[in-house]
Amino acid sequence: MEIAADINNNIVTDAWTEGLLFRGFEKMLEGRNPFDAVYFTQRICGICSTAHSIASTLALEDALGVVVSQQGRYLRDFIHGCEFLQNHIRHFYQYTAPDFIKLPEGNTLFETDHNDFRLPKEKNDRIVRHYFDSLEYSRNAHKMLAILGGKAPHNHGVFIGGITTQATPEKIARLRSLLMNIKQFICDSMIPDAYTVAEYYQEYFKIGRGYGNLLTFGCFDGYEKLGTLYVNPSTYSGGRTMKLNPGEITENIYSSWYMAKSETYTPFQIIPEPDMKKSDAYSWVKAPRYRGLPYEVGPLARMWLCGKYRNGISTMDRTLARVLEAKKIANIMLFLLDKLIPGVDVQKEYEVPRSAYGAGLIDTTRGALGHWIRIENQVISLYQIITPSAWNLSTRDRDNIPGPGEKAIIGTMIRNSDAPVELGRIIRSFDPCVSCATHVYSKGNLIKTMQVVP
Amino acid sequence: MNDREIFINMIDDNLNEMSDTIDCLYTTSNFRVKNKLLNRLRKSMSNISMLTQGLRNDTSMNNPQPSSDRLFTLDELSRYNGRNGNPAYVAINDIVYDVTGNAAWGGATHFGLTAGTDVTSPFASCHAGQPILSKLKVVGKIT
Amino acid sequence: MNQTSNSCSNFSTRLETVSVLVHRAIDAIQQKTIKKRNLIWLELTGCSGNIISLLDGANPDFKSIACQLVNFIYDNSLMASEGEAALEKLFSMADGDYILAVEGAVSTKDNGMYNIIGRWKGQPVTAYEAVKKFGEQAGHVITVGTCASDGGISAARPNPAECVGIQNLLNRRVIKLPGCPCHPDWFMGTLAYLMLFNEPELDARQRPLMFYSTLIHDICPRRPYFNQGIFASKPGEKTCMFKLGCRGPVTRVDCPIRKWNDRVNWPIGDDSPCIGCAMFGFPDKMEPFISYDTT
Repeated sequence: MEIAADINNNIVTDAWTEGLLFRGFEKMLEGRNPFDAVYFTQRICGICSTAHSIASTLALEDALGVVVSQQGRYLRDFIHGCEFLQNHIRHFYQYTAPDFIKLPEGNTLFETDHNDFRLPKEKNDRIVRHYFDSLEYSRNAHKMLAILGGKAPHNHGVFIGGITTQATPEKIARLRSLLMNIKQFICDSMIPDAYTVAEYYQEYFKIGRGYGNLLTFGCFDGYEKLGTLYVNPSTYSGGRTMKLNPGEITENIYSSWYMAKSETYTPFQIIPEPDMKKSDAYSWVKAPRYRGLPYEVGPLARMWLCGKYRNGISTMDRTLARVLEAKKIANIMLFLLDKLIPGVDVQKEYEVPRSAYGAGLIDTTRGALGHWIRIENQVISLYQIITPSAWNLSTRDRDNIPGPGEKAIIGTMIRNSDAPVELGRIIRSFDPCVSCATHVYSKGNLIKTMQVVP
Repeated sequence: MNDREIFINMIDDNLNEMSDTIDCLYTTSNFRVKNKLLNRLRKSMSNISMLTQGLRNDTSMNNPQPSSDRLFTLDELSRYNGRNGNPAYVAINDIVYDVTGNAAWGGATHFGLTAGTDVTSPFASCHAGQPILSKLKVVGKIT
Repeated sequence: MNQTSNSCSNFSTRLETVSVLVHRAIDAIQQKTIKKRNLIWLELTGCSGNIISLLDGANPDFKSIACQLVNFIYDNSLMASEGEAALEKLFSMADGDYILAVEGAVSTKDNGMYNIIGRWKGQPVTAYEAVKKFGEQAGHVITVGTCASDGGISAARPNPAECVGIQNLLNRRVIKLPGCPCHPDWFMGTLAYLMLFNEPELDARQRPLMFYSTLIHDICPRRPYFNQGIFASKPGEKTCMFKLGCRGPVTRVDCPIRKWNDRVNWPIGDDSPCIGCAMFGFPDKMEPFISYDTT
């Protein structure tokens, strides 16, 4: 991933987010056994693999007409929660924190190319300590995932009907003890650390706003007996919160290296063909739109839409919403753990219909994720995937409307254009799931390239 | 009973006889009887040597003749895909083998191959020279 | 939780190998009998799941590797510096001594333009160029995960980015650690062994025998069910997964005893079949992953 930015008189006048890695999963899935999609699509991303297994499972359940049992949902959603905790802890300490705190000298990994570190030594040192401590907690989040899911990354547990295995009293006890420890770390270290950073970087509450259009597909929502524990599928735009209508999602390839019969299409219509020679295109990322508009997705969108966080929409608000969400997810998981009944087998033998179609829409660590599957002759005939990062880092569409990430960068005041640290911090607040670099141009001349990590 | 089992039974018979002969050797003091028993021992040994040779030939033969006269067209073979109660058969060099319980054929599939098909050429490219076919049950041949 | 018999001394010794090797290497570095080596970790066409798996390593953990065993020179997702400054660090190693670890396959389509890892002096650097440049000169090359080892899921039919494993590009021997992802122990053990004793003994497919010598089926705790012909007809059952399409009988790796994530579980322990993720030919030749109506 690279960001190209035009900077004139220390103001970003234009920006382009460029995805430079092509995978082609949608093409690969054509002709495969539909059940295989659950394990296959996880390999799209090693950091959010569980998210794909869940979206894929939901799409298959929709296509097969399988109604998942409540125990099946609790087990599966608990696994999903483990991934949220793993991701949020790693993202805050391993990816966000190094932007704002000075890591120890003498290790090549920790060398930086800017010097905008503002925390007093003892506060800086405390977060550095937590940088290393956090490795144990994010690792333990994956350990919880493996207890129910077999292994992580790329779990085996999430499947049609819930998960493959059953809860046992031993597993529940072990999960509770691991989860309590992680929750304590989130409350005692991660949340205070995020507020400490925010205190010293106040202007980031005003930088990187973007459109202020927010969208969620919902998660931990609509349980038969428990209702919604987190957030329902909804959108926010121009001060209004609305129910989500999935029929209004489109994707656009005007600025992406793809060709198709139609430049804009709905998820079930077209899988475009890669074409790197296309002129005017600048990214492998496509441009998802809702009602024709770009929308931001992720923890801030969810916390905003469920009404738990309304401080503002900015770089720092995204980071704060993410760490606050981690605590909320940990509480939901503790609640679900109490509802688990040991020994309930949720698996059945499933049959692939001759032809069917289904959609799996779910909010995951980084935001709204959609899988759309079409089955013909008992094999996959179409598989569409729209990732959260495609929403956030989407390219311009025909009307030259920038994606949310691009919009968040444009207009930013850069203090030192030799070290435009603002750009990396803005993009990283979206938690892009691709590693990413920034090019800075001044009046058309490249002056600097920097990389933004996931 | 197939050839292999017959060979093994005969080897066991000879071994039992050798054991008896050795027991007799311990008890006899007559040197004529002793020589006779030693001759018997030598004969058993030569039998065993012959039988093991036969066994070796049998296992190294990767092209056994079908013991069943059952004939399959490729179309008929395709029904034996290991699903819905049908056993899993594959054809190699026009001989049809049963792979239903074969560990390497989990889910009646093997490295992208499915049961009910002719797998002669992938077999030749992956398992040339390996004593695999003699361990499989032959169920017929392709017409 | 499906514990393998702990009384088997073969199994328990094998589980200690990695921590013994790593701690011996760290001791040797502290006593200055061997030197810390430089490590370059490239993330190419793949999911970055192998670096995440390495962060999940528990005994020893990632911190002891990164702080005491090697100098982690470059990894684009963990390093704090960005863009050209990051590539500067990578290119500064060009003529030095380093071990190269690669995860992800290499896209060869359109001269590698389907995967650009960064820019150096204004020019795009493709994964293809980076592997060629740093692969030939490295002290050792370790391919971490199935994509780097054999193409893996990145090269799945119809292979839209024309991906290949690292070995296809290099005129030198690489050490392959397939697995989707690679178990942290397999990587750490191999790395420590390299530093202490040079290259470990490899099999015909260039995999270290200390991890890849045993067929899953032969040490599977559910093997007695196979022998008795007791088979699961759907996931969730506690018997042999053979009829569901288990790839344990064709996959060589020590998963059943090593297990995952601090040894808490593994795919068959989770009542699901092995999908052969550590085997060449994954995924195309290991599918279908789940079959229901097997006779």
